[in-house]
Amino acid sequence: MSVSLQAEPIDIAAEYAALVGKASGAAVTTFTGYVRDHTGEDAVGALELEHYPEMALTVLQDLGRQAVERFGLINWRIVHRFGLLPVSETIVWVGAVADHRGEAISACEFMMDTLKTDAPFWKREQGPEGARWVASRAQDGERRARWERSEGI
Amino acid sequence: MSITIKLFASLREALGEAELQLELGALPPAEVVDGAIRVDSIKAVLSARGADWSDAINQPNLVHALNHKVVYLDALVKDGDELALFPPMTGG
Repeated sequence: MSVSLQAEPIDIAAEYAALVGKASGAAVTTFTGYVRDHTGEDAVGALELEHYPEMALTVLQDLGRQAVERFGLINWRIVHRFGLLPVSETIVWVGAVADHRGEAISACEFMMDTLKTDAPFWKREQGPEGARWVASRAQDGERRARWERSEGI
Repeated sequence: MSITIKLFASLREALGEAELQLELGALPPAEVVDGAIRVDSIKAVLSARGADWSDAINQPNLVHALNHKVVYLDALVKDGDELALFPPMTGG
């Protein structure tokens, strides 16, 4: 039940072992986000991730607590990177452990959907024509809003 | 003591500053009530720094976070508080 904000790559095997090792749950869901090599038709060479460290930690810890309350999680973990990330590297890793698959799957989705709109990180893509800030997407807001309207399962 | 203003991402880049301090005593007295000033009053003070500030600070969808929590324009900021201004978040 913890958060890591880190510059270094995410060791997924170690994260998974730590997540499951401590928990007695029967269902585990994880999500891994990677740096894409394109956005629409534009090539992307690397991603810079700026963040607001103190607020990001507060928001993500609170998000984990909400997921426990809402889905009865036995364990959870959120790892988010910052700094310069080359294509194909990990950006984010979220894990949820519960007694049943419904709760584990929904909790993982809830944490990712909420993280996208509520955690203070900003992506800047580097491409052949220079760098540009990534705009927020309406779909992300809509996905986030679903969790306000329903219990999710 | 003062109010700490933090700027992030495109806002930080456009204004060339990541952090500044506002002395409560130096703000328009009419805006300060019982030692506190509203977020929209702080935005007005920052906008008065010039056209580039006015454009950046008044862009639509700007997010305001007071002591690490997202707030509305009517939130009250006191001495020692940290107010962050930034565009919508795009992590994950």
